[in-house]
Amino acid sequence: MAFNDSLREMFAMIELEMRRLKHDRTEIYTRAVQPILWLAVYGTVMSHVRDIPTNGIPYIDYITPGVLLQSTIFVSVFYGLTIVWERETGILKRLLVAPASRYATVIGRAIASGVRAVVQALIIFPVAILLGVKFIANPIYILAAFIMLFMVSGGFAALSIFVASLMKTRERFMGIGQAMIMPLFFASNALYPITLMPPFLQSIAVLNPLTYAVDAVRGLMISGDVANVPVDFMAVIAFDVVIFIVASISFRKIIE
Amino acid sequence: MASAIDIRQLTKVYDGKVNALDGVDLTVKAASIFALLGPNGSGKTTLMRILTTQIHPTMGLARAFRYDVDKDDDKVRKIIGYVPQEMSVWTDITGFENLLIYAKIYGVSSLQRKKAIWDALQNMGLEDVANGPVKKYSGGMIRRLEIACALLIKPKILFLDEPTLGLDPSARKAVWENLRSFKKEYGTTVFFNTHYMDEADLYSDEVAIINQGKIVKTGTASELKRSLHGEIISFCLANNGTDSMHPSTAPLRQDLNILTKIRALNFVNDATVHDSVMDVAVENGEIAMPLIIDVLRSEGISLQWIRSTRPTLDDVFLKYAGMRHMQDQSGYHYGI
Ligand SMILES: Nc1ncnc2c1ncn2[C@@H]1O[C@H](COP(=O)(O)OP(=O)(O)OP(=O)(O)O)[C@@H](O)[C@H]1O
Ligand SMILES: [Mg+2]
Repeated sequence: MAFNDSLREMFAMIELEMRRLKHDRTEIYTRAVQPILWLAVYGTVMSHVRDIPTNGIPYIDYITPGVLLQSTIFVSVFYGLTIVWERETGILKRLLVAPASRYATVIGRAIASGVRAVVQALIIFPVAILLGVKFIANPIYILAAFIMLFMVSGGFAALSIFVASLMKTRERFMGIGQAMIMPLFFASNALYPITLMPPFLQSIAVLNPLTYAVDAVRGLMISGDVANVPVDFMAVIAFDVVIFIVASISFRKIIE
Repeated sequence: MASAIDIRQLTKVYDGKVNALDGVDLTVKAASIFALLGPNGSGKTTLMRILTTQIHPTMGLARAFRYDVDKDDDKVRKIIGYVPQEMSVWTDITGFENLLIYAKIYGVSSLQRKKAIWDALQNMGLEDVANGPVKKYSGGMIRRLEIACALLIKPKILFLDEPTLGLDPSARKAVWENLRSFKKEYGTTVFFNTHYMDEADLYSDEVAIINQGKIVKTGTASELKRSLHGEIISFCLANNGTDSMHPSTAPLRQDLNILTKIRALNFVNDATVHDSVMDVAVENGEIAMPLIIDVLRSEGISLQWIRSTRPTLDDVFLKYAGMRHMQDQSGYHYGI
């Protein structure tokens, strides 16, 4: 019974997100501009610097997984803003009066954000091909890469919802979000191998879920080296489980 | 009649210091419209949030149709509809889509979904704008959409927190007319918070006045009004020509004499004179008026006009919500 209610709410939340996306398609295109610039400008310029050890992969190809993930995770990290807005209006109060458990709202929202991330990536993907990035032509690998993208984006959305339940105002939330996003990107293997980093940054990178996601997506889409992929998936699943639980627990606080 | 809501000694203390509710006792009859009237910060929203299972009471008990709102919150959620004080619809999708998402959240089966949604839209008079984005709705349309979302599951109790806040009179009227016809059709109990007296007066079967977390008065609107004083009858005493040029003491003494006689009458509570208007507080004007007129006639006083004023719910509210005693505005010195 209660489980059905919760499942229904999750699907409804996903549908809501899709309908919003349908009504505001420009958002998804404008959000694609920045990652495309990363690839086209930064990737092209930096590919002339031959000092970054990419195992013989062209630099633009090397950073494509990181840029793809960064752009979707960026959306997820600020997903909590929607929750803050829904809290300021009466939407959350009303959702919490519906017959579904609180974790359904959190997980439904996180999954919805993951789906949005996949749509976002699907727009950048063909542009990357046009820019000359060579993807591994294995549909299973590509599918697995998108699953990874979905999982890690959902996890970061849950993290964002968790932050939203602590920082109840827009300004404070934005502050935390901004502070999180850049270190997240730079303290990962998105733009360069971890081995190039100073030791303290390396230890952060090892704890950064984005590192594992980038590693998996790079292996599956670009290098074809999938030896670490199972470990990467385990790391991201562990992150998702922990953050879903923490966010669900703290979600109650948001309307008090 | 069976009760829809039973509240016993309900107390809510926020953060260990704000006493938002202080031992509330209330009973709401099933299939009635109940108004909770109170000034800002009196605890209306807090009470409604406890009844709708959002927050826990500090002490006390509240039931909605036998279910404890704190312990059986799952069951309560299935039988209530709720519209919060703040705006509560998604503005970046259409009105229809808002209802669709709620229908799915509440598990309205796919066979009944379309009909339930169009019924709700129709109940609130929104058919024509259903497929437009909510962004473009007026305040009144948004409120009606919110209520439509709450009506979707045909709740047994509908909770509305200041349902017509910020709406113009015609939008308010539209909201209430739609609500009343829905209530009539489905026998829903409606519990609403407001600080519009006229709204409580016009649309509720019963009113409770809350102030500083305590229920200070309950009853039907007319009971509450009667509890103040019956009515005030004002008599404008015609000038008899004896005292118009030079104010002498004789007419004054005559006035006092009349006042004493009128005060002595049965059915009269009090009488005062002010600038040749006499205000008489009575329980029942129909009975008292002829008696008073007789006294005035016997004193040789003729009248220019007579006016009767009944207390409004405003007077009741101001009295029990204890802001100030509005004797002046309530009709004692009426007329000039
Ligand atoms: N979440 C909260 N935390 C702490 N105090 C609160 C909280 N919500 C309300 N209060 C306090 O409790 C008291 C009652 O507030 P409540 O919102 O219930 O009043 P209200 O009657 O609905 O007022 P209004 O007419 O302004 O909506 C107020 O003193 C308010 O400041
Ligand atoms: Mg309120």
